[in-house]
Amino acid sequence: MDVLEVTGAAAVLSLADSRFPGGGHVHSGGLEEAVARGLATDERQLASFLYGRLRTAGELAAVFAAAATHAARQRADRKTWIELDVELDARTPSPAQREASRAQGRGTARAGRAAWPNPVLDDLLAVTPRPHHPVTVGALVGIAGGTPRQAALSVTYLSVSGPASAAVRLLGLDPFGVNAVVVSLSPEMERIAAEAAEQAELPATELPAPNAPALDLFAEAHDRIHREEVRLFAS
Amino acid sequence: MKASARLVVERDSAGRSVVRELRSMSPLTLVPRRSLLANATGPALVHLVSSATAPLGGDDLELSVLVGPGAHLRLHGVAATLALPGHRPGGSRMTLHLQVADGGRLEYLPEPTVVTARADHHAELCADLAGDARLRCREVLVLGRSGERPGRLRSDIRLTRDGDPLLRQRLDVGDPTLDSTPAHLAGHRVLATELLVWGADPAEPVSGDWWSLAPLARGGSLATVLADDTVAADRMLRTALAAHPGLDKAEAGTADGVTRVAGIA
Amino acid sequence: MPAENEHGHGHGHGHRHPVNFDPTATEPDPHPRRVDIGRAFRIGIGGPVGCGKTALVAALCRALGDELELAVVTNDIYTTEDADFLRRAGVLDPARIEAVQTGACPHTAIRDDITANLDAVERLEQRFAGLELVIIESGGDNLTATFSRGLVDRQIFVVDVSGGDKVPRKGGPGVTTADLLLINKVDLAEQVGADMEVMVSDAHRMRRHELPVITQSLVRTPDAPDVAAWVRAQLGTTAAGNNGTQLTTGTT
Repeated sequence: MDVLEVTGAAAVLSLADSRFPGGGHVHSGGLEEAVARGLATDERQLASFLYGRLRTAGELAAVFAAAATHAARQRADRKTWIELDVELDARTPSPAQREASRAQGRGTARAGRAAWPNPVLDDLLAVTPRPHHPVTVGALVGIAGGTPRQAALSVTYLSVSGPASAAVRLLGLDPFGVNAVVVSLSPEMERIAAEAAEQAELPATELPAPNAPALDLFAEAHDRIHREEVRLFAS
Repeated sequence: MKASARLVVERDSAGRSVVRELRSMSPLTLVPRRSLLANATGPALVHLVSSATAPLGGDDLELSVLVGPGAHLRLHGVAATLALPGHRPGGSRMTLHLQVADGGRLEYLPEPTVVTARADHHAELCADLAGDARLRCREVLVLGRSGERPGRLRSDIRLTRDGDPLLRQRLDVGDPTLDSTPAHLAGHRVLATELLVWGADPAEPVSGDWWSLAPLARGGSLATVLADDTVAADRMLRTALAAHPGLDKAEAGTADGVTRVAGIA
Repeated sequence: MPAENEHGHGHGHGHRHPVNFDPTATEPDPHPRRVDIGRAFRIGIGGPVGCGKTALVAALCRALGDELELAVVTNDIYTTEDADFLRRAGVLDPARIEAVQTGACPHTAIRDDITANLDAVERLEQRFAGLELVIIESGGDNLTATFSRGLVDRQIFVVDVSGGDKVPRKGGPGVTTADLLLINKVDLAEQVGADMEVMVSDAHRMRRHELPVITQSLVRTPDAPDVAAWVRAQLGTTAAGNNGTQLTTGTT
């Protein structure tokens, strides 16, 4: 099935659009900290950073978005939303990353309520007013009639497009080059999204739990340093 | 080689932690040690010795550890584990099941695991805690012996307390494209983590450039360290543990000569 | 918050009113009644770097802090600098100031994607029940930056005379459409060779002689009495929404 040839395509495109007003533009996904340490200062290093992020944070987001879309399409009960929330928390050891995910989930839900009002979304927000970002995106895609694979692809793309945009803003990198880097990750994105979709019906406890130690450390350091000096992004 | 070992520690009527059951199976050999502490209420000490060179490719090893109500076990590994390639395909696997009852305490502080060239190892840790149980669990992964490119290792951690998930984490090391990315290991050779459900959790995360001690969402905390060698990893891990409110100085390893990570590098 | 408020009668806005324990006593409400829109009224203050936005916020806090439940959100691109200025100025309880990180795009944070600012407003509303006014100060930006109507009920655009008297003529949505245009630092007009008459008449012309223009010098009037009076008038006359526009409410 072609990923965009089902209902909900506009929802998927909108949710993955950098202009979607869900608060994503103030998060760099650890890139600002990596830049501050001189670990991602040119296109080659950025490509490596984005690849690592895609394989870890991207995959984690993908499996939870896919599972949430499946749940939304099944009109899941509140217990399912609680399980997804708790299980994603358990897979996010860094408090700063949990906060970044919930801040974006909250923003996405706010925008989503206006665009796709639905009792399923009300249920999710009744369980937690600040749901995790991949769960929120997945739920909205499901509500709009989209598939787990579409949701997984959206968040997988967002896991690198946000930091890529931050790199342009922080480093003044050539936007054509940066865009080309993001596009070059396409096969990996599609592979991760397809695998996530295959696991969308697993119980939340069984969903994969990929972790990136450096991203965890960057997130905590970003938060700590922000209290002392200048940080432009919230994470 | 397929092996399954089992260790049960309980608290006896005199309040001592005693080994009730101990079943070794080659290559997993469990050696109980008389407590060196004069205090009879101290922890039971057991050393996990790899009697053959393990794990090798094709090995499927399993160790179950049960700590009864109020009992205290300190389980050490004496030698660095080398995840070596074997003759059979399919990689090696080591699964550790930990179960700690109310008031029980388990410290699992093994020596580093060295992921040698051509290794293909899967380490799995499943820990189930009762509401009032305590656990310390350390994992130090070294990517290859000095100058050696590492094989592959996947580490899975699954921690629950009263059935609630506290931590679920998968770490993949040994994929050169992934290891070198600034997002994953940022080129470091040693990754150390210590999982703590040990009294009070840190109220706030504490961190340095390459270490952190972070409270988990639903209790417990995780110390994470990235370093170029085990000496640096040891130092940063102790710095992180020193910030844990549930550990005293000796337990955190900031007092001399206690619970140090052995230097392999 | 000062500790005393926890033990006072608890509406927690930095000052106290005597409490009469006689349930039959009728006393005038210590706060004048405002039109209730179900949440705090939000005023945005925008304008180029260095035009005096933060100083205006401080002046408004001094002028209105005793009569209104007031809080401030700052969007300085360098994170907490403005918030720190306000805290140091001592014009407002630090708990009433929230700083927003804008991801190096201050105009996006007040216009295209207002999520971070709405979150900050919500945090303040949760912290201070009965909040009446939230002032949102944008990061210093250019003449094209305006606030989204989903974020603020009214906006003040600030320019100053030091850029020369041509600034209002240059237009831009801030100058032409803001609910109030403030020409600031008029005490400097002579030194910088700005013709105030030209500046003010240009401003009125650009605003079709319909929208108000105020000139001000915080050196001469540190409490910004004219702007404070305008703010009071907005609060008193507000109906839900702004010109019929649906506002984004702070709660989902």
